[in-house]
Amino acid sequence: MTVPKARAVAAGSRRRGLSSRDSLVLLLLAVPGIAWFLVFAYGPMVGLVVAFKAFNIRDGIFGSPWNGLANFRYFLTSGDAATIVFNTVFLNALFLGASLFAGLVLALMLNEIRGGPYRRFMQSVIFFPYFVSPIVISIMLQVILSGVGGRGGLVNNLLSIVDLPQVSWYTEPGAWPWILTIVKVWQLGGYTSVIFLAAITSISEEVYEAAALDGASRWRMALSITVPLLLPTFAVLVVLGVGRMFFGDFATIYAIVQDNGVLFPTTDVIDTYVFRSLRMIGDFGTTAAIGLFQSVVGFVFVAAAVMVQRRFQKESSIL
Amino acid sequence: MSAVGQESAVTTVAPNAGAERQPARKATGRRIEPFAAVSYVTVTLFGLFCLVPLWMIVAGSLTDESVLGLNGYSLFPAPFSLRAYELLFTGQSLLNGYVASLFITIVGTILSISCTASIAWVIARRLPFISRPLTIFAYVPMLFNGGLVPFYLLVTQVLGLTNSWFAMILPLMLAPFLIFVTVSFFRQMPEEILDAARIDGAGELRIFFQIVLPLSKPILAVLGLFYAVTYWNEWFTGLLFLSDPDKFPLQLILQNLISNVTNAASLPSSAGAAMAPVYQLRFAMTVLTVGPILLAYPFAQRFFVKGITLGATKG
Repeated sequence: MTVPKARAVAAGSRRRGLSSRDSLVLLLLAVPGIAWFLVFAYGPMVGLVVAFKAFNIRDGIFGSPWNGLANFRYFLTSGDAATIVFNTVFLNALFLGASLFAGLVLALMLNEIRGGPYRRFMQSVIFFPYFVSPIVISIMLQVILSGVGGRGGLVNNLLSIVDLPQVSWYTEPGAWPWILTIVKVWQLGGYTSVIFLAAITSISEEVYEAAALDGASRWRMALSITVPLLLPTFAVLVVLGVGRMFFGDFATIYAIVQDNGVLFPTTDVIDTYVFRSLRMIGDFGTTAAIGLFQSVVGFVFVAAAVMVQRRFQKESSIL
Repeated sequence: MSAVGQESAVTTVAPNAGAERQPARKATGRRIEPFAAVSYVTVTLFGLFCLVPLWMIVAGSLTDESVLGLNGYSLFPAPFSLRAYELLFTGQSLLNGYVASLFITIVGTILSISCTASIAWVIARRLPFISRPLTIFAYVPMLFNGGLVPFYLLVTQVLGLTNSWFAMILPLMLAPFLIFVTVSFFRQMPEEILDAARIDGAGELRIFFQIVLPLSKPILAVLGLFYAVTYWNEWFTGLLFLSDPDKFPLQLILQNLISNVTNAASLPSSAGAAMAPVYQLRFAMTVLTVGPILLAYPFAQRFFVKGITLGATKG
């Protein structure tokens, strides 16, 4: 967080008359937070030494013998590395693109619906999935894809109406990147549209009035005024999303896929892989090495994203 | 939405701002534009897309198991049956689950709000030699973290929180992103009020508790709702650290129901294993898990919209 210059000047008055004793008293307020960061944010960073050790529970984190880069070598030569790295980036890119696109389209369309109860109702409805937990999503998905007790399901019933063969979705890895993307659009479409709607409100009314005088249709206005003016917001959201490309809400993927190995080729991502190896194999050293690899690459992504975002913010008037 | 690197600042956007806006148009005698018509249809369809899955769960929970097995799901519950709910309410698991979920949500949210507001105020005050290092201190974990394994070892080996509800509370206690949202809210606070209190001789702690916090109800509500939903929906830390089924929160009971359908039969203690309507139970349990959110939703949504626009728009 950098302090904007204008505010830094105004802050001068805040410092006035504050003794160092007052500062210390105030610092007391921050103590629980600082303690939390030390334990839960910085503590695990220290624990990363496990990545360089042949860890065993009996000797503990610091007592276990070192084994250099063996853990990393094991992971990189295991053959899973390429798949899970690809899946992580590919799925995140799909999720980001689809939810931003859906959010943008929904915001444009909601903007066409006159204010009033219907619009407020629809806004509430499309925002609602954001509150639903991954586990509940997973159950809904099972009902829709495989029905009760593996019979049919809504999608298969629709397929049979148009005379297409039924699909056993839970044994069909190829379909899952797209299924998960639809889930993400369901979950985040309304949420993202709120961000865009907020940005739309900051567009000056006069621009639209001028366009209306020139005889522009609402569609033309959306395309030639709203969308270009939303681009900076869009760009910043893309940049932030790219920064998170190596991490993500994988509790959702795990809740949906569970331990269904058939689907791993297309759905296994770094986080789920780490979680599974930890629980099933209990190989702490290797999984910590994967986690460290993820954090380092993730850091590069985030740092690059933050730098790009700074540029956007300097150049655009909205952000 | 991802929080990393947000230069968050309070915007002047009103809550539910999108809803207030009226596009410029002449009201009288205009035909409906094609784009507007398409918009109505599309938004309505998307709304259905959002609601139908939920409705299928509700309908399924009210449909007799025998029919569920034959016809699969149904959009209208026939034959209507409340048996799953009866079983759930007579068994102990549901009660345990609610107790666990409520404990985690309430205690967690209180801890989260107090710690977030406190550390945010210290950052917002721009104290020399304190605020800026503290900002960096809170920012670095957004860029880099230790990953799952050291975290797992920390909670199980170092802190010994296995099978404790605090294993689900403490790791989620602070969200750096929300700290920074709160900081920018605090920095909008009129300086004059604080100065007046200082002239009257109020100490720093008194100013925080008696002036800043009461003036910050909107942001505290936003924090409360974001944290509460996180805690209510959390299950991953539970899966990692809880093994005693009596301590499972609702989400984890549900997770158990999915991963092992036969477990469902043994869920309500009063039901015979052979007779329990497994799927209907699962749906009913889902409804009861989402229920509290649905009840709180009309209230919560307003604040959530505010929270998003606080954090995500404007630099």
